[in-house]
Amino acid sequence: MKFKFYLALYISKLIKNTLHILSKFMKVNGSHLPGNIATKICPNFLSIVSKPKTIIAVTGTNGKTTTSNLIIDALEAKGYKVLNNKTGSNVLGGVTTSLFSGVSLGNKSKFDIAVLEVDEKSTPRIFKYVTPTYLVVTNLFRDSLKRNAHSEYIFDLINKSIPEETTLILNADDLISNKLKAKNSNKKIYFGINELDTDTNESINIVNDARICPICYSKLKYNFVRYHHIGKAYCENCGYKSPEADYIVKKVDYQNNFINVFYDGKEFEYKMVSDSIFNIYNQIAAITVLKQLKIKDKDIKDIFLNMEVTKDRVKIEKIGNYSIINHLAKGQNPVACSIVFKYVKERKTSKEIVLLVEDYHDNKESSENTAWFYDCDFEFLNDESIKRIIVSGVIAKDIEFRLLLAGVSKEKIVALKDENEVAEKLSYNEENEIFILYDMYQSKAVDKVNSDIKRKIEKITK
Amino acid sequence: MVRIEFLFPEVANLYGDPFNVKYLKNSLKDAEVIETTLTDEPRFVNEEIDMIYMGSMSEKAQVIIIEKLKKYKNELQEFINKNKVVLFTGNAFEILGKYIEDEEQNKIEGLGIIDTYAIIDRKHRYNTLFLGELNCEEKLKILGFKATFSFSYTDNTKDYFCKSIRGCGNHKESNLEGIRIKNLFGTYLIGPLLIINPKFTKYIMRLLGEDNPELQFEKEAMDCYEEKLKIFEKQEINYLQ
Repeated sequence: MKFKFYLALYISKLIKNTLHILSKFMKVNGSHLPGNIATKICPNFLSIVSKPKTIIAVTGTNGKTTTSNLIIDALEAKGYKVLNNKTGSNVLGGVTTSLFSGVSLGNKSKFDIAVLEVDEKSTPRIFKYVTPTYLVVTNLFRDSLKRNAHSEYIFDLINKSIPEETTLILNADDLISNKLKAKNSNKKIYFGINELDTDTNESINIVNDARICPICYSKLKYNFVRYHHIGKAYCENCGYKSPEADYIVKKVDYQNNFINVFYDGKEFEYKMVSDSIFNIYNQIAAITVLKQLKIKDKDIKDIFLNMEVTKDRVKIEKIGNYSIINHLAKGQNPVACSIVFKYVKERKTSKEIVLLVEDYHDNKESSENTAWFYDCDFEFLNDESIKRIIVSGVIAKDIEFRLLLAGVSKEKIVALKDENEVAEKLSYNEENEIFILYDMYQSKAVDKVNSDIKRKIEKITK
Repeated sequence: MVRIEFLFPEVANLYGDPFNVKYLKNSLKDAEVIETTLTDEPRFVNEEIDMIYMGSMSEKAQVIIIEKLKKYKNELQEFINKNKVVLFTGNAFEILGKYIEDEEQNKIEGLGIIDTYAIIDRKHRYNTLFLGELNCEEKLKILGFKATFSFSYTDNTKDYFCKSIRGCGNHKESNLEGIRIKNLFGTYLIGPLLIINPKFTKYIMRLLGEDNPELQFEKEAMDCYEEKLKIFEKQEINYLQ
């Protein structure tokens, strides 16, 4: 067994280095490949490979990359060497690659601490061999129905895979993931955000996967709903209620860019890393982790002074008097798209929207399962501030129909088979911001639409 | 007025299924939708109801709902016998069968109203398109999507919902999809079934007593249907996803 392990270690290290050199000359994508080969040669490789003493794993539907990065950056700023899979993959192979990269040829770990982002569906395979000291679960939502089915399915996968020794760091406001290991002895620490002015009493979203009490199945009462099943709730019938947060954001000051966090009987003020509520959750999750690692309050404060979450999902461009805003809207993910649609609606300008959200691959080889359109709040796009919606793609007509059912008037909608005519259909009224909402596999269409629009603007302004 | 009872929307609401009820209500001239929750007594037990709908749910919700409906099994059976309309989409119709067994051999007894049983395997998800002919005189073409962990097994040679043209039936080797007993329609198809199948929706509306049914956005719905049918009939497209 020992022989097999070292054979696997050397071969996979060699492959990893070769891939690294190759990547300088060409596009090679495969941070999971060396890890997969190691496991092929030695099936329990992951259990034998030496690991750092402290392992922080981060999983959840949204925000796991941002949260991991915040923790890594903070620890590195404090001088720690942090083993991580930031540039690699978050499935079994990728995590294996990261872990063996952190050991010497004699299988000695070179790091004291690891921060690993873990894909939700990969938790059973990874936690079988890797016991996280801390596991952060950011949240659990409906995701792609084809791959992830429903949130209870993902919940069960994670719940069954968490080792007894792991301390859980959970979102008190997430009525699904806050129930992880509820019946087990795992230590649990909760983070949350107090009621905000923007919260409501009833869910305004189509999807809310926590409508009933998990104990007696009566309808849950919400003290407040933030979005979907994020909020605080209780059961009138049996007394069940959301857990109290140990680390709680008491105040969010958007004007001065800080948050007030309460824990250990004291209140602390931190600079916000981003003004989106989702990133405030990620930040409070990171703060909770840093506190467990005994980082001093003052140090955490200083670390955040110089930190900012880059908005790689939004690109705002000004061309003359025109604004073009490209915003990623992950297709087949109804919650992610609903959040983007709400953001567009709430922007205090008038706008025209280009929707490139259908799945490129599915519609090329097959026909996209359109069920997710009906889990997604297209209703947010039925708003006075939205003057025109141009939908492009093979199944543009299906999206047009969804918009009609959402109450958008037919005159506002233009449905096109492909991206070629999109730029022609905009009004180029300087008062309207141009939004391009796109799925990540639509890059070809996104590029075409952007360059056509720019050409058009140039022509007009000449 | 047509009264539609939507059973347990607080849990049986996956994959956009509830929009079927919304679209049907908006298309009917005069309809009321009653949402019955797990703590209510179902309305079909003591009131005049014209149609019952239930949508996709988690495997745990199936157990809760079976437990809930056990008491009302006879009334539900009677409702079906009286030729009333029942539409169950996704895995909802599995609860009507004899039992449901999961990948760990946990077996739960179903309502036993129909002669089927379901096998769940959460380790393998099955995604496919479906094209078939409705079990009715007009042989309407039905389009749909499946995304499932489970399959049903039974002899449904007489009682099927659709005969498959492409895409599997109740299980991978079957070409007969779902069940149809009188006006009970049970199908694994998920999501906007009534929205992408306007002809079927009108068929249901006729069963509900609307002689000249007219759909909400009928022209657009028909255009979408014809266009999608053309795509689904192309030999070169993949059904498995």
